[in-house]
Amino acid sequence: MTETQALLQAENLAKHYPVSTGFMKPKALVRALDGVSFTLEARKTLAVVGESGCGKTTLARQITMIETPTSGSLRLGNIDIASATPEERKQLRPQVQMIFQNPYASLNPRKRVGSILEEPLIIHTSLTAAERSEKARAIMAQVGLRPEHYGRYPHMFSGGQRQRIAIARTLMTNPRLVVADEPVSALDVSIQAQVLNLLMDLQQQTGVAYLFISHNLAVVEHIADDVLVMYLGRTVEYGPKRMIFETPCHPYTRALLSATPRIDAAQRKTRIVAKGELPSPLAPPPGCAFHRRCPFAIDACKTDAPVLREVGGHLVACHRAGEI
Amino acid sequence: MALLEIKNLSVHFGSLERPVIAVDRLDLTLEAGEVLGIVGESGSGKSVTSLALMGLVDPPGRVSADILKFDGRDLLALSLRERRAMLGRDIAMIFQDPGTTLNPCFTVEDHLVETLSVHEHGSRKAMRARALELLQQVEIPDAPRRLAAYPHQLSGGMSQRVMIALAIACNPRLLIADEPTTALDVTVQAQVLDLLLRLHRERGMGLMLITHDLGVVAETAHRVVVMYAGQVMEIGKVPDIFVRPRHPYTTALMSALPENNIGRKRIQTIAGVVPGAYDRPRGCLLAPRCQYAQERCRTECPDLERTEGGEVRCFFPLDAARKPDHQAECETLGSQGFSS
Repeated sequence: MTETQALLQAENLAKHYPVSTGFMKPKALVRALDGVSFTLEARKTLAVVGESGCGKTTLARQITMIETPTSGSLRLGNIDIASATPEERKQLRPQVQMIFQNPYASLNPRKRVGSILEEPLIIHTSLTAAERSEKARAIMAQVGLRPEHYGRYPHMFSGGQRQRIAIARTLMTNPRLVVADEPVSALDVSIQAQVLNLLMDLQQQTGVAYLFISHNLAVVEHIADDVLVMYLGRTVEYGPKRMIFETPCHPYTRALLSATPRIDAAQRKTRIVAKGELPSPLAPPPGCAFHRRCPFAIDACKTDAPVLREVGGHLVACHRAGEI
Repeated sequence: MALLEIKNLSVHFGSLERPVIAVDRLDLTLEAGEVLGIVGESGSGKSVTSLALMGLVDPPGRVSADILKFDGRDLLALSLRERRAMLGRDIAMIFQDPGTTLNPCFTVEDHLVETLSVHEHGSRKAMRARALELLQQVEIPDAPRRLAAYPHQLSGGMSQRVMIALAIACNPRLLIADEPTTALDVTVQAQVLDLLLRLHRERGMGLMLITHDLGVVAETAHRVVVMYAGQVMEIGKVPDIFVRPRHPYTTALMSALPENNIGRKRIQTIAGVVPGAYDRPRGCLLAPRCQYAQERCRTECPDLERTEGGEVRCFFPLDAARKPDHQAECETLGSQGFSS
């Protein structure tokens, strides 16, 4: 991973939200994203996994420029998104597109498929109506929609087809990076497989990079090149997919892997139980944020927050990584 | 005798002339102390089946069945009052989304005490004590304080535990869990499933686990019912049904899972989509999507046939090598199979 090739590079990215705790009381700070670093190259897929509330979606909101990070840097190509001027942001936006989780909510029910797809072109290009329509039809063919779908409304489609429309919309501006926030979790198994295949085909054809957010580890195992495991706004483990799945070092990663139900009894891992639930982000535990749920916690975990270090070829934030 | 016996259960919605068939001639038995998994994609009729059992299908929905017996009593012959007394006490249900099934205006204690007072008699104090005991049984930390909590103060996993406490309050003999863990994170899902199984073991309850997640049933159920578009496609024991699925749909579902495609570039998919309410095929419902479909499958609907160790609704069930029994006939068909 040389820095020159990196498409997207985050360094110590943080996003803190002040939240009201009551009338006349001081505001509390939620560290939704607290120092996350990663690199993503073109034609690669980085999967971000973790439970709800771990900061996956906050990360997506920084990358898609819906929000501005509190601190840290986020470089897309040569431009730092975190400190970009409004003009630079406008230039960057067509390069970063997003697929949302729920295709029933992310498509405007009052617009036809054609105008949903052409809207990004109206905003970002100066193509004529005929050119826009031509491009929309070409992309529709690419994602497996039929020409007659052009004039239909979203309610006339099934969930899988809607997600194809959503994917087509992201491709309209020829993005270099697509942020996919749980793109298949609302879909049935058979449709999920179709959409995953489509995403991988498109990556082959266009060289787009995916930041793939998911809580489904089986899906991640299939589609990802690198995996970033997050817990309460921090990276707990980051490395190539094979290493994360074959030699997970962080107890949280292991708990996630062993909690995933498997059909094949041989694939089931000895259950490592994470006790309790995600702590409140308003009052994260001192030391390692995971120590209260961790079966391997020692005294040091209660006081010192572990830093990311290299264990077995990838990065882990755990005091006991390597020994457990 | 089976705890629950269903023969020829159908649930129709819409007009009489053009009904929407949600459940189509379903046969099912559940033994006492058994964990029965019901799997299927959305629209396969798994939830409607459970609602019909609970008597929760409102008009214009129509429920009809030859036999619908719980513990030897005919549910269809019971008066409304008798059936009402049975629900919640002998048969209880857990719903998918705990966030919307708990009443936001009442505390956890109110919920529990209401359920208890409908079916049991006793002082408020005694019920309060029972409520506390129930919360402890479902492993809610700091139970005394949680009694006074409102649903919005509970996390998803915690709310689902409260739902479970409500369901087991009157010691039901059958617990129906409709997608109990779908809204939860994996680590919490594992905890909730462990809890359900422990309660099932300790109390000898029958457990009907409705889910779309094959992994969940594979890890918990004794027997599995695979549904598709309102019909039972296959019933089989775990793990046999996953090792040697007989129905092409079961096989196709399993091969569409990413975990069964490790090392492959593309995931095997099932072509097409589940048939809609008004475009149900004339023959086998799977025929348009099935790679082994033949002429007979397109014109005639197969019956659920008993096979060794299970039941399967297919003219040409698959053998151990996941090939149809009548390979020769199939070869004439060419391939329209599992493409993407």
